[in-house]
Amino acid sequence: MYLLKEERVKSMNIRNQIKLRIGSLALPLVLFIVWQFIASQGYILAMILPSPATVFNTLITNITQHDLLLHVAASLKRVIVGFLVGTVSGFALGLFMGLSRTAEKIFAPTFHVIRQVPVIGWIPLIVMWFAIAEVPQIIIISLAAFYPMTLNTFAGVRNVRKEYLELASVNGYKGIKLIRKIIVPSALPSIITGATLSLGMSWGIMMAAEFFIDTSYGIGTRIQAGRSSFNMALVLVGIFTIGLIGYVLTVIIETLGRVVNQGRDVNKEI
Amino acid sequence: MSTLKGVIEIRNLSKSFVVDNDELKILNNINVTFSSGEFISIIGSSGCGKTTLLRIMLGLESDYEGQALVDGEPIEGPGLNRGIVFQDHRLLPWLTVKENIAFGLDKLGRKEKELVVAEHLKLVGLNGFERAYPSQLSGGMAQRVAIARALANRPEILLLDEPLGALDALTRMHMQKELERIWQLEKITMIMVTHDVDEAIYLSDKVVIMSSRPGVIKKIIDIPFARPRDRASSEFIHIKAQILKEFHLGTEYPFAYAI
Repeated sequence: MYLLKEERVKSMNIRNQIKLRIGSLALPLVLFIVWQFIASQGYILAMILPSPATVFNTLITNITQHDLLLHVAASLKRVIVGFLVGTVSGFALGLFMGLSRTAEKIFAPTFHVIRQVPVIGWIPLIVMWFAIAEVPQIIIISLAAFYPMTLNTFAGVRNVRKEYLELASVNGYKGIKLIRKIIVPSALPSIITGATLSLGMSWGIMMAAEFFIDTSYGIGTRIQAGRSSFNMALVLVGIFTIGLIGYVLTVIIETLGRVVNQGRDVNKEI
Repeated sequence: MSTLKGVIEIRNLSKSFVVDNDELKILNNINVTFSSGEFISIIGSSGCGKTTLLRIMLGLESDYEGQALVDGEPIEGPGLNRGIVFQDHRLLPWLTVKENIAFGLDKLGRKEKELVVAEHLKLVGLNGFERAYPSQLSGGMAQRVAIARALANRPEILLLDEPLGALDALTRMHMQKELERIWQLEKITMIMVTHDVDEAIYLSDKVVIMSSRPGVIKKIIDIPFARPRDRASSEFIHIKAQILKEFHLGTEYPFAYAI
């Protein structure tokens, strides 16, 4: 059947999308086959590289008997609270430094020195100072979220086009109204980039926090348990869970970012 | 003092910028009056200070000698009695066409706002594009939205800084017609900075010719003939030759082409 040009383009797009989906599944599939092959040859001790079947069974027993979902929930809760605390305060500091040169002079040098210290480096001190329930973990995670959010908010606010500020001044926009209607929307793409990076950092540091700080629940805790009992199947269950949930979180925040950016075609903005 | 709205008077105005510790005179002793309801074009080569003069009238530049008055009052910063259309349309990319036009209308209620927006969308011939985003518009359409936004505040004076400079030749001629129609409907003072001599003659009651270093007004030419104007008419060509001569670009026998 003869198709109009637009319809042809559309059907090609769908075909390309299917190709893309298949394409992105190909690599995991190959890796899985290689894994299965190596494990079944018995070249390597099953203790070091358990077979896919063993890992799957471990996953099931962990869900049914060892509260894996509760561990996941505990980690997620830490990450979400830490992410929120870190991004909200990072947004505030970034905005403040972006708006005021004086604030930048006061805060920026200290901020840049402190952020050179890897977040993990703070763990001993923070555990000493705030040894109450979940507080140390959340502080560590929020610190990891804080840096990228501050930097990207600051950059976004500083790079608001002076033409937009002129337009705002011609229309009598000042103070809070100027910040709400011009500066923040204009910096939004950069702020969303900051939030995406912050989420990745929070998720990564959550593991470290659970490794170094004793807690009874958390995916990191399960991996630690697997390590100390030479149960590599359990370690792999933890790794897959972390990878998968991290990926889902990234997809969620990227979708949110697109929704917030509405019809903006950031590439077409001059 | 006259009771007419939309009058701009510039008296003995001079302005300098400091560049590398040197004072650079941009405008030198400018004296001109723009009357209510006039269409005035300011033309001149780059660097003659015409955009600076426009920015002074808008209220974005201060710190000059002499006086700049709107309706007899000194200009102190931007005000809603003066609207502006920039060369880049300067629409906010995160707002729809409708929201962009309503940008300066915060003081109005929801219903009133809707009404003003609808009226101005119609004025610039863009009904149906309310929900579009600027990135979905062509250059000419975006500039129409910018004109609608500037007019929605009901200014007495519309300042236009090379508003059609970024458009292709045909869109540009079409938009000149549109501008003339809008000016005749709104009956407000319009002051336009342009590079284009044809555009200036087509639209203006008065053409102010400036020359550079430092920027001075060289000549003010009245264009008395009836509208809509024919770009190929002999009077049009005659005035054009007269203006081009001011830029040392005139030909000896302009009528040779006209006859």
